[in-house]
Amino acid sequence: MKKHIIISKGTELLRIPADMLMYVSSDGNYSNIVTVDNRTRLVTLQLGQVEDILQEQLADADCNFLRLGRSLIINTNYVYFIDISKQELIISNCLNSYHILSASREVLTKLKAYIETSIKR
Amino acid sequence: MMSSKYDIKDDELRVIGKPAAPLKTDKDKKKNKWLLAAMAVIVLLCGYLYYSSRNAGSIGEDNEEGLLEQIVESDASAVVPEVKSRLGNVNDMSNASYTEKIDTTINDIPLSIYIPHNAVAELCLGQPDMTDSGIVFCAQAADIRKDNNKIVGGYVIKGQPLAWGLSKKGYCSIIDNKITIGTAQNSPLFEEATEKEGYFFRQYPLVNNRTIVENEIKNKSYRRALCDRYGEIFIVESNTKESFHDFSQALVDLDVDNAIYLVGGVNAKGWYRNVDMEIVDLTRVGLEAYKYENYIVWRDGVLN
Repeated sequence: MKKHIIISKGTELLRIPADMLMYVSSDGNYSNIVTVDNRTRLVTLQLGQVEDILQEQLADADCNFLRLGRSLIINTNYVYFIDISKQELIISNCLNSYHILSASREVLTKLKAYIETSIKR
Repeated sequence: MMSSKYDIKDDELRVIGKPAAPLKTDKDKKKNKWLLAAMAVIVLLCGYLYYSSRNAGSIGEDNEEGLLEQIVESDASAVVPEVKSRLGNVNDMSNASYTEKIDTTINDIPLSIYIPHNAVAELCLGQPDMTDSGIVFCAQAADIRKDNNKIVGGYVIKGQPLAWGLSKKGYCSIIDNKITIGTAQNSPLFEEATEKEGYFFRQYPLVNNRTIVENEIKNKSYRRALCDRYGEIFIVESNTKESFHDFSQALVDLDVDNAIYLVGGVNAKGWYRNVDMEIVDLTRVGLEAYKYENYIVWRDGVLN
């Protein structure tokens, strides 16, 4: 069975197949969760709290999530394009989802190195 | 700001689901090499000094201790991680309420930074009373519409909503004495402010998560911003006429995390009390007061 991420708070529960989660972006004290169906759901959790949930629920899974700086968590399976000079990161499933994100040059350099290393593994 | 037990900087990357450890690039490894080499030199130096002091009968007891203490101190400082310092006076242990002013220049833009100490923020309608000795800082907050002179954007004062607009994406909420500055089309903090007798207003976003936010307005004017930098809240004012872009970039370069605009220009009103409790007027050219003229005000008080 697919691994799901479950975010439960108050009267609401959000359940997403882990491989359908493309990225999570910080929105002040809240976080936007973006899935491959191009839907964005705002949750009343800070990005660090979402990271803690992923950390806890995906501890024993074959994990593909990365925290990039203070404003992004991405699923590395959907990294489509990195342009360090333009500080641009494109997350896409090469079908119908295409999101242009911005991150610092330093973190994009590290992401590029991380993905290059993963090829060699 | 962040509740995660693992703090992270904007230039860091971390794998989720495995033991938290920042990814090391070749550059980091080189840095670590130098750090290890420096530490090795310090350890060797310590050893040498300890050995030579033990064998040197002429060195007195006091001198020996002083020498070693000095080395231990320098060793400790070499491994203590850098902590971003607050801009305001952190050594102020008094409970006095006042506003500290710091003048600086970033990217050739002369800026004044105003940091209220031992004060809590709230919003108020109408000009604050200058004779009220409890007020340590005030500046105009939300804009007023040209057509009907009402407040632009969502606005809540002590739990009472006065305006509901969404024309500006920047927001500031004050709930249970906690100031939150952010950028969002819809923010649940508006509702929370109404439920908890809090305050909320909207303005142009300038910096969002340490990234500049571009605004359509291109003219130059005196600019004011409400800023959050590593949890420290302060107001920044440009002392020259600047574009939104240049002013926002200066805030980013000041390491501000989030910032929104406050009413600026030559007609922007405001004043503060300095450490000597003297009133300093920030108003350049004061116009007549509008009914919905509104201010963010810091009053003496202790944060929870």
